[in-house]
Order: sequence, then structure tokens, then C-alpha cells
Amino acid sequence: MRPRFTAAVVMATTAAIALTGCTKKNDTDTAASGDAGKKTYKVAFVPKLQGVPYFEAMNAGGKEAAAALGNVEWLYQGPTQADAAAQADIVRSYIQQKVDALIVAPNDPDSMAPLLQQAKDAGIHVATADTDAPSSVREVFVNQATAEGIGQGLTDSLLTAMGGKGKYAIVSCGQTAENLNSWIEVQKAYTKEKYPEAEIVDIVYAGEDQAKATQMATDLMNAHPDLTGLVGECTSSAPGVAQAVKDAGKIGKVFTVGLGTPQAMKPYLQDKSSTAAILWDVENLGYLTAWAGAQIAQNKPFAATNNVSSELSAVAYTEANKMLLLGPALAITDKNVDQFNY
Amino acid sequence: MTAVAEAKIKRRVLPSPVTGQEIVLVGVIVVLWAALAVSTPAFLTAGSIQPLLVATAPVALVGVAMTIVIITGGIDVSVGGAIMVCSVLTAKALVGTDGVSLGVAVLLSIAAGGLLGLVNGVLIAYGRVHAIIITFGTANLFMFLGLRIFGSGTVNGIPATLAFFGRGPDGRTLGIPHAFLITLVITAVAWWYLRHTAGGRHFFAIGGDAQAARLAGVRVQRRVLLAYVLTGVLVGLASCFVIAQGTSTLDQSVGSGKELAVIAAVVIGGTSIMGGRGSVLGTLLGALLVQSVASGVTQLGWRSQLSDLFVGIFIIVAVGADLLRARARRSR
Repeated sequence: MRPRFTAAVVMATTAAIALTGCTKKNDTDTAASGDAGKKTYKVAFVPKLQGVPYFEAMNAGGKEAAAALGNVEWLYQGPTQADAAAQADIVRSYIQQKVDALIVAPNDPDSMAPLLQQAKDAGIHVATADTDAPSSVREVFVNQATAEGIGQGLTDSLLTAMGGKGKYAIVSCGQTAENLNSWIEVQKAYTKEKYPEAEIVDIVYAGEDQAKATQMATDLMNAHPDLTGLVGECTSSAPGVAQAVKDAGKIGKVFTVGLGTPQAMKPYLQDKSSTAAILWDVENLGYLTAWAGAQIAQNKPFAATNNVSSELSAVAYTEANKMLLLGPALAITDKNVDQFNY
Repeated sequence: MTAVAEAKIKRRVLPSPVTGQEIVLVGVIVVLWAALAVSTPAFLTAGSIQPLLVATAPVALVGVAMTIVIITGGIDVSVGGAIMVCSVLTAKALVGTDGVSLGVAVLLSIAAGGLLGLVNGVLIAYGRVHAIIITFGTANLFMFLGLRIFGSGTVNGIPATLAFFGRGPDGRTLGIPHAFLITLVITAVAWWYLRHTAGGRHFFAIGGDAQAARLAGVRVQRRVLLAYVLTGVLVGLASCFVIAQGTSTLDQSVGSGKELAVIAAVVIGGTSIMGGRGSVLGTLLGALLVQSVASGVTQLGWRSQLSDLFVGIFIIVAVGADLLRARARRSR
């Protein structure tokens, strides 16, 4: 059954590409006719998954950057499920279209690395954003926040609510997701170091399934009756763990934090089943991604500090690991949740 | 004819009320629950069993209809896509100040599901193409439709209208989760219908030999159509359970892979994938076993992917047992 199903997804995705590809082309034809003669660089971004608010907000930021820069054509296409094979097909299609810069948020960094090599061999500038493929030929990684920033932000928010001690568990998503795993490593080390009276009792993986994340959080609370904290490590499990606490009637007894998008977390932040959502300005991340794509497409080097836009006036670049850093992580609570429209 | 003789004939014609597979499943679940009760602090408490039953409900409910479809010799791999369409439609109708009420939401979801089931049913009953091909095609169509309804975002701020089917305190009466109770009643009705009515027996006849069934006067096409429409209707109701179990946000991963979970429950329940034999009771037990394993793995603190391994083993054992039984019947 499984290969058939995967085939189904691939078919659906290919059909989707064919359809949206056509409309996109028409859009840009009209746009490009305005400033003929000037070279436009095609910057393509392949998210892990299309249609979720997180990547749609990145897309909005990317479009905004393309409009501001003037010489960039922003292309955006992702799989309809967070599936490495479906994502690879989209990357291949962009290689065939000979875009100028190809930026990927890989579902599986290891299987993406050879594809990025293939793109480079075809003369395409490659980069990663949101999630890195460290062992690949990518020219730059646009990092939303350091693993330390996220991991410590999550731990500090949670442990402050838990009173600095107690048992907590993590509901993560994809088991091979590089960024989630790097944050979890920081959470483990940082908890041990800063909160010696706190303990991570379990880490489970729910995939992108909200209902499954909620059920797993419920099971964790049952398995550990003295559990006082839960972390939802991605945008589907962050509301999931909060919902589980709410359903179990344990608001105020079990605290949750998570990597959640503001609008999805709003009801939970308001009823206190979630203490805080740790995130970053996703639209700015999209903006920075498009800007970085334009830079590498034009073979322009990065400075140690880059003035990207009025909101991103000092973006740090480290040569050693070829990484652009958006900035510090952002804690979203019931106080500031209304500032974000995604 | 005396009452005794009549009873004798009935015994000969009717299959035994429970199959071997169901007894085995009950045994496995009892042993598993007992083992989990001993090895984890809180498995056998209301706070753990209630959510487990709620999580079992949508898969078991769609499984009832899937069992009937598989008994007729068909299959429906489009239920995941259909759940996506029904859920997103219903979730969108619930959102906003003029959001619909519980009853309207359920009716809307069932109507949408029934319509999708009708598409499958008409194509399969009158198109004379095997069900796996048709539903494979419609699965993609439904997914496309679902994604179009989603637009390019999630559905946010879904109110607690459907909490009646949920995991929380509103979803229970006297400690029994409504979603599971409804599933149980529908399973019981389906069990009785399949076993004690001529219409129910016709499904088995079609799965055994459609040509022979037609010659015996069974309206094969109408029965097949009914099986797929019923699947759609139950998918519609199950979608309400799915929304209730999720968060106040619905994302497009909803329904993804559910067809496999449902077919797994049916196969583990002892229904022959070749058609002609099967039981809705077994399917309910199969779904319960799969969810118990998933919860058990989490509560024991084992690696999450081990539950996939166990489900895989159950499927292979169940299919193997079915083949052995078929061989035993032939040699008799």
C-alpha cells in the first residue's frame, strides 16, 4: 500500500506544480515587461510543506523582498505533505527550470545533499533556509535563530512557569528534522546545566499529525502523573500539547510551551493552557531568504553585518559556518499575540 | 416445521456469532491491557482509557464501512482524502461569529461525505473498473479539492462546538466518551444487519462470487453503490470526531494516511482482503488494538516508531492466519 500511496502524493504534487507553475509564469511575464532590459534573477524557495501558515508567512516576506529589490523573481513551491521524496521532485523541477538561486528548507537534509550538488553542477547557486543541510554544498544557510536561542528560550519559558523544577516531556514531530533535533539537544544540555532540579522524562515523535500529538501528550501525562511541563517542538504539536492539557483539565498544573505560529496558539495562550510560543518573525525570515538568494545569484559576498531592510538593519553573517542569522528568538504570549497576522 | 428444526437450519446457514479472529483479538487486548496496567502507573485509569477510546473512534467508525466494502470484494483508498474534504468544509462552517451549530455541522459533514461516497459508488458499480483504481483516482481528486478549500492557510480559531465528540469533559456522559459510544452503537447495528438480514447477507454473496450472486437475484450494482455511499456517510461523521480531537487549528495534514490506518484495522480484525468474509466487530477490536499499542508504547517510554513495527507485525500475522483458515476450508 505504502508505495502506492507515495505515488499518489507524488502524482498530486506534480499536478499541483503543473497548475500553479502555469499561473506563476503568467504573473511574472506581465511584471517583467515593465522593466525590460534589466536582468531579473529567479530565486526559488522550496519549503518543507506548502499551505501551512509558517511557510506561507515566509512566502509573504519573500514576495515583499522581491518587490523591494526589483530585480528578483520569487518562486515558491512546496510539497503538500512534509515528505522528502515529494520535495525532491520539486527541487528537480527547479533545477530543470534553471533558476538562478535555489533555496531549500529540507525535510531530510541527508537525502537533499546530493540534489543540491546536482543543482550546483547545473550552475545554480544553492542555499538552505529554516533548516540546514550541513553536509551539503550550500553557499549559505539563512538561520532564523541559533539552536541555542530557541532551545534556551523554550527551556527558560517553561521552567519559569514550572517554578524552576520538575519533570517535563517533549512532543516532537519528524524524527529526522535537523533543526528540531538540534533544539532538543540544547534543551537537554541547558536543562541539566541551569535547572538541575528539572528532568526531561521522555521525547516522543508525532509526525505532523495534530490529533496524534494531542493523544501522545495525553499518554505522557498518564505515564508520568507528576509531570508538570510539556514542550510542543513544532507548529502542529505546540497547539496539540496545549489542547491535551486543556482536555485533561490540568491547566495550571501542567504548563506547556512550544514552537507555534501566533494565530494557531492564540486561543491557548488566552486560556493559559500554553504559557508562551517561541518563534521569530517569520515574514522577516522570508524577506532575508529572498535577499540572500539575490545576493548569491549575483555572486555578491556577504559582509559581517548586513543592512537588508529597515527592519533587518544588522544581520550578522559568520564566515566559518556560512550562516546568516535573523536575530534572537521571540517569545509570543497572550500580551503580544495580536501583533501577528499569521 | 418444528421450532427445533428451524433453529437447526438457522445454525447451519448462519455463521457463528463470533469468529476465531475476534476471540484471539479480545485475548490479545486483555493480555496487553493487563501487561500495561502492571508496568505503567496509570494505563488502566479513566484518564487514560477515555482518551484512548476517543482516539479509536474515527478509525473504527470508518472501519465499519470499509469492512462492508472489503466484504463485497472492493476497497476504498480514498477515505483519507474524503476525511480532508469533510473536515475542512465543516471546520470552515464552524468558524466565525455566524458559525453553524453542532447538528448542522454534523449534517453538513455527513452530506459532503455521502456525496463523495456516491461519486465512488457510481464509478465502481457502473464503471466496471476495479475499486482500487477508481478510489486511487478519487483519492487524488479529493485531496486536490481539500487543498483548494484550505486555500493557502490553515483554518484557525475553530470553536468548541464539536466538543461533544472530543477528549474533554464535554465529550463524555457517565464517563463514557460519546464518540466511542456512537461508534459502538453503529458497529452493533452493522453487525446485526450483516448477520441477520437478507440485504446484509447479499454483501457476502457479492464478495464470494458476484456473478453467482447476480444469477441468484441479488442486485449487485445497487448493493455495491450502497457500500460506498455508506462509507462516505461514516467518513462524514468520523470527520467531526477528527475535528473534535484536534486543536482549534486545522491544517492540511488532516486525514493523511488515514486510509492505511483504517484498512489495517479491518485486516487485523480478520476480514479477508479477498472479500466474502469479515466482521465489523473484528474491525472495532482491530482499531482498539492498534490504538492501545500506540498509547502503550508512549506510556512505557519506548521509541515512538515501535508502534509502526507492532502494527506491521499484526497485519502480517492476521493475513497469514486468514490464508491458513482459507486453506483449511478448502481441504475440508
